[in-house]
Amino acid sequence: MPRITFHRDGQAYEGEVGDNTNLVVRAGIKQFPFPHLRYGCGMGKCGKCACRVLKGAEQLPEPNWKEKKRLGAGLDEGYRLICQLWLSHDIELEQDKIPVEPLAPAAS
Amino acid sequence: MPELMNHVEFRTALENAIKGKSANKAPFSIAWASGKLSRAHLARWAENHYHYVGPFADYLAYIYARMPERYTEAKDFLLANMYEEEIGGDRHTDLLIRFAEACGTTRARVIDSDNMTATTRGLQSWCYAVAMREDPIVAVAGLVVGLESQVPSIYRKQTPTLREKYKFTDEEVEFFDLHIVSDEIHGERGYQIVLEHANTVELQQRCLKICEVGAQMRLLYTTALYWDYVAKDIPISEIENVEPKVQQGERQLLQA
Repeated sequence: MPRITFHRDGQAYEGEVGDNTNLVVRAGIKQFPFPHLRYGCGMGKCGKCACRVLKGAEQLPEPNWKEKKRLGAGLDEGYRLICQLWLSHDIELEQDKIPVEPLAPAAS
Repeated sequence: MPELMNHVEFRTALENAIKGKSANKAPFSIAWASGKLSRAHLARWAENHYHYVGPFADYLAYIYARMPERYTEAKDFLLANMYEEEIGGDRHTDLLIRFAEACGTTRARVIDSDNMTATTRGLQSWCYAVAMREDPIVAVAGLVVGLESQVPSIYRKQTPTLREKYKFTDEEVEFFDLHIVSDEIHGERGYQIVLEHANTVELQQRCLKICEVGAQMRLLYTTALYWDYVAKDIPISEIENVEPKVQQGERQLLQA
């Protein structure tokens, strides 16, 4: 069972989640890390869920196209989009107080 | 005589009610997952799918309006689902249209309701009827648990195929990617509402029945897509080689 350590606003929150868990899905149904994890669209667009990975980054898959497009250089600073990650191992995350700016909506 | 189930028993019963008629078993879904469809087939799917999922926020809005005021959390969940479908990020139907255009059809054709089959029209009408007439908890069971919660398992199977076998780009198939996350949230919220508020034997039984009917409606819709657009190009025998249970599943559907 992956153990999650989540930092926000100078506080640390810890919890265990099931294998292959998406933390945005958990927050969406009001389970840990709710209410601490900020998220928005759940589709890798708004960037509100972005967190810096403090520990456990080496076990994550390579960033997908949405993370590359959304985070750009932020990836080198250790940021990932939490809505795009399904976790199966322990991880430590930190979320900034101010979210990154959202991208413009897709042309319709 | 059925008895009142606890949350664990009731959830298992709901899952079983859906599983029996999962749309994953429809020949169209099997042909899709095995890479047998053409882009023209997928375009016809998109033109139909728009009219089924396009009004999803409408369906939820009817349920929202009729949900008792005291069920605040249930109302908030429905509102969050509506927001995420429409304006949380990109509008989900715009992503569906992007996929449709990549398949060779146009926005104008997708939004034109003349391009859906009679069965799709039937599914859309059933969704409206459930949203407007059923007990709101039963309606959540039918539309959110019975229909929407199936989506992640269907798209999880179909999305890699779209990239690997059909050679779509990541952006072209974003509609499917996002549903794996958002419908997982929506489906789970639906379960929470139903488990919490279906608190009589009668309500539980009605929820089970509507889940079964909802899954059946989706299977009916998906099966019709095969017969209306694909059967002339890919005979059912070819699909049966991939999944021998198709014919049996369809017989069950026709007898249901």
